Amino acid sequence: MAEAKPASQKIWLVSNDNATMEVDRAVVERSMLLKNMLEDLGGADVSPENPIPIPNVNEAVLRKVVEWCEHHRNDPVAAPDDESDARKKTTDIEEWDQKFMQVDQEMLFEIILASNFLDIKPLLDVGCKTVANMIKGKSPEEIRKTFNITNDFSAEEEEQIRRENEWAEDR
Amino acid sequence: MMVARMGMPAVPNREDIKATWKYLEDGITRIMNDLEQGMDMQMYMGVYTAVHNFCTSQKAVGLSGPTMTTSHRGAHLLGEDLYNHLIKYLQRHLADLVQASKSHTDEALLAYYIKEWNRYTVAAKYIHHLFQYLNRHWVKREIDEGKKNIYDVYTLHLVQWRKVLFEQVSEKVMDAVLKLVEKQRNGETIEYGQIKQRPFLSATKEFYQAESKQFVAENTVVEYMKKAEARLAEEEERRCCNQALIADHSLSLREEFQVLLDNDREDDMARMYNLLSRIPDGLDPLRTRFETHVRKAGLAAVQKVQSSEGDKLEPKVYVDALLEIHTQYQGLVKRAFTDEPEFTRSLDNACREFVNRNEVCKSGSNKSPELLAKYTDVLLRKSTTSIEEADLERTLTQIMTVFKYIEDKDVFQKFYSRMLARRLVHSNSSSDDAETSMISKLKEACGFEYTNKLQRMFQDMQISKDLNKEFRDHLETVGNTKAVDSTFSILGTGFWPLTPPSTNFIPPSEISAEIDRFVRFYKHKHDGRKLTWLWHLCKGEIKAGYCKNSKTPYTFQVSIYQMSILLLFNEKDSYSYDDISGATELSSEVLDQALAVILKAKVLLMDGGDKPGPGKTFRLNYDFKSKKIRVNLNLGGVKEAKQEEVETNKTIEEDRKLVLQSAIVRIMKARKKMKHTQLVSETINQIRSRFVPKVGDIKKCIEILLDKEYLERLDDDELGYLA
Repeated sequence: MAEAKPASQKIWLVSNDNATMEVDRAVVERSMLLKNMLEDLGGADVSPENPIPIPNVNEAVLRKVVEWCEHHRNDPVAAPDDESDARKKTTDIEEWDQKFMQVDQEMLFEIILASNFLDIKPLLDVGCKTVANMIKGKSPEEIRKTFNITNDFSAEEEEQIRRENEWAEDR
Repeated sequence: MMVARMGMPAVPNREDIKATWKYLEDGITRIMNDLEQGMDMQMYMGVYTAVHNFCTSQKAVGLSGPTMTTSHRGAHLLGEDLYNHLIKYLQRHLADLVQASKSHTDEALLAYYIKEWNRYTVAAKYIHHLFQYLNRHWVKREIDEGKKNIYDVYTLHLVQWRKVLFEQVSEKVMDAVLKLVEKQRNGETIEYGQIKQRPFLSATKEFYQAESKQFVAENTVVEYMKKAEARLAEEEERRCCNQALIADHSLSLREEFQVLLDNDREDDMARMYNLLSRIPDGLDPLRTRFETHVRKAGLAAVQKVQSSEGDKLEPKVYVDALLEIHTQYQGLVKRAFTDEPEFTRSLDNACREFVNRNEVCKSGSNKSPELLAKYTDVLLRKSTTSIEEADLERTLTQIMTVFKYIEDKDVFQKFYSRMLARRLVHSNSSSDDAETSMISKLKEACGFEYTNKLQRMFQDMQISKDLNKEFRDHLETVGNTKAVDSTFSILGTGFWPLTPPSTNFIPPSEISAEIDRFVRFYKHKHDGRKLTWLWHLCKGEIKAGYCKNSKTPYTFQVSIYQMSILLLFNEKDSYSYDDISGATELSSEVLDQALAVILKAKVLLMDGGDKPGPGKTFRLNYDFKSKKIRVNLNLGGVKEAKQEEVETNKTIEEDRKLVLQSAIVRIMKARKKMKHTQLVSETINQIRSRFVPKVGDIKKCIEILLDKEYLERLDDDELGYLA
């Protein structure tokens, strides 16, 4: 397929609640799913009338994800097997992403699910780190409060779990 | 039945493997057989989504029945059913191809093979993408957990191709290839068009890693033969030259290398490198020589500083000696050996050897990391000979060069955190920027976990700063006029390498009132927290207005123990040893040490003898004289530092046991079952970045975990994880 694919080529997406949006190809390609698809289907004639269906994502979430991709459109693409420790192990989040993630919990989890579905690893990482930071340094009771979890353990069960995981505690 | 929205693919029920597979099979068949017909976005997205939905469904109705094993895994990933269905599908598909191949022979067979291979691998690439969700989660997890014979979907296609098709038809195909080559040799022109494509080369990187180089080797025979024929002639010519000019003389060339090394003849070494790189394996002997040479040079340098400095060896001198050798030979690798990776590796091997095992380390294997940490402390501590910011940064980078070679990184961490604690508590760190820079260097080298506590220590200091401000504000609002100007540091128990004092102590009343106020303030703010006072780290200043010889009062910088002794003399001029001991409740060891410095400075005078002890009496010296207005009495003895060193080394062994145990538990939690020997080597792998564990220690830790019932013994030398 010899046709030119400039980064500014327009692509149309449609959310599962039927909202169509226009996005640059370079932005869309932050999603490995959509990047592969555009490459595999080569001449797929995406148009406002024939947008790419995104079955598992609604409009609000899709707009949010696109916003992230817009901001990160020029980020270098990490090699697929680049699980370098530095990236994995820290819970540091760059400032723009921190602001971006200041949403209610439901939206946060929707973003995580959508980035998992669309295969946008860096966004998935940021989402998970955000949740990790919400947990970090908290007592079990505080964590339950944060995520609205009812404690269905008996005292004995809780004690047993603590004992089993003793080795993981901060010394 | 689900109703499709406009343009949305109709995806089957996520929990129904039968329906899901039926849907996927239609898609796959289309890709395998009808790709030219094209595929629309709805179908592409539909297949991907069906895979995704199945893998993320809470409780898939599997065909394999309820599996008991699922409850064992932390978070169970679905996908096995899909994977097995795909295998069965591919096997059926390939068996059909084998059947069809039987109607072809010779060139026609070759053409058929190549055509099918092309079609199959193109389809495989598509299916790989459509099953990407399975690859990213279930397959990845299986591979991470060490399962054999699980591949990503593309590789799976190749593996099945070999297993079902290639092994059946390879002989016939190879015969056809050989016949073709022979025809060409005899001068016949051949339609190369048909085998011009590269049917066998496209195996993915994962495939090389995952399974068989052999497969690829077998399959590239066609390509290889063509290339080989074309290139052989020129190759032959070149080889003759290399043989005559280089290989025949390689022995004498290599002999000369040692001479060149000994005399630092860089240009000549570069020339030799160039020549020998032209013949196969020409450089290996050079690398070995080089490695040995560097190691010896390093050992000699260490021996030299050791014999001239002996026990008084300064950390800086030691580290500089290591660095000098590294810098010298790194330069050589760069200039003479074009930074070739294998030479760099030889350099690294040599450095690791002489950094960890040398004359200085003989007295204790922890010596290298300890000295390196001490040198870092010297650099980061406030001192009269402070160096420029830029120089400091450069030196810290050099420290990291040596750090990289240190095997016992946990020892470095221990000493570093103790010394950082001291710098922070006594606020004599030379610069916050330099401290932060060093920590981020360590974090980069060893990861977040390694520096976690160091960072928390910093945070504690910052929080304490704010807390003190709040406390002062609070005192003002309640209208408390303060007798003492106090600062408190709240240090989190888990993060600081500090232990409470071993002696009893009653703080002087002037201070205890302030302490009570602070404790009330703090408990009100953080209910339920327990405060333990680290008296031995507390210090202060007191003004002495009683001295006859000075108009301006002297200021004494004292430990809180010394303060409690001196404040007694506000009441009367003379106390017996027992009086002081009774009032402060200090143990005799601590009391004697505190008194010794006071006596030496002649702030107090003692009657008779030279060592404080029971029966002695102490008087205030009204004739005290000093050139300085501020007099530092808070001098920790050399003894104290030595003791800390011994203590630090002692805790290392204890901590290592815990680190080993947690590594073992982590591994077993992931694997559930493992052979004893496998577990030992996996543990070594995981721990190696921190220190080099002894096999004996690992075995001991496994025993401990068996006793604690984290693990159980199974048949056949296997261990099991008990949740």
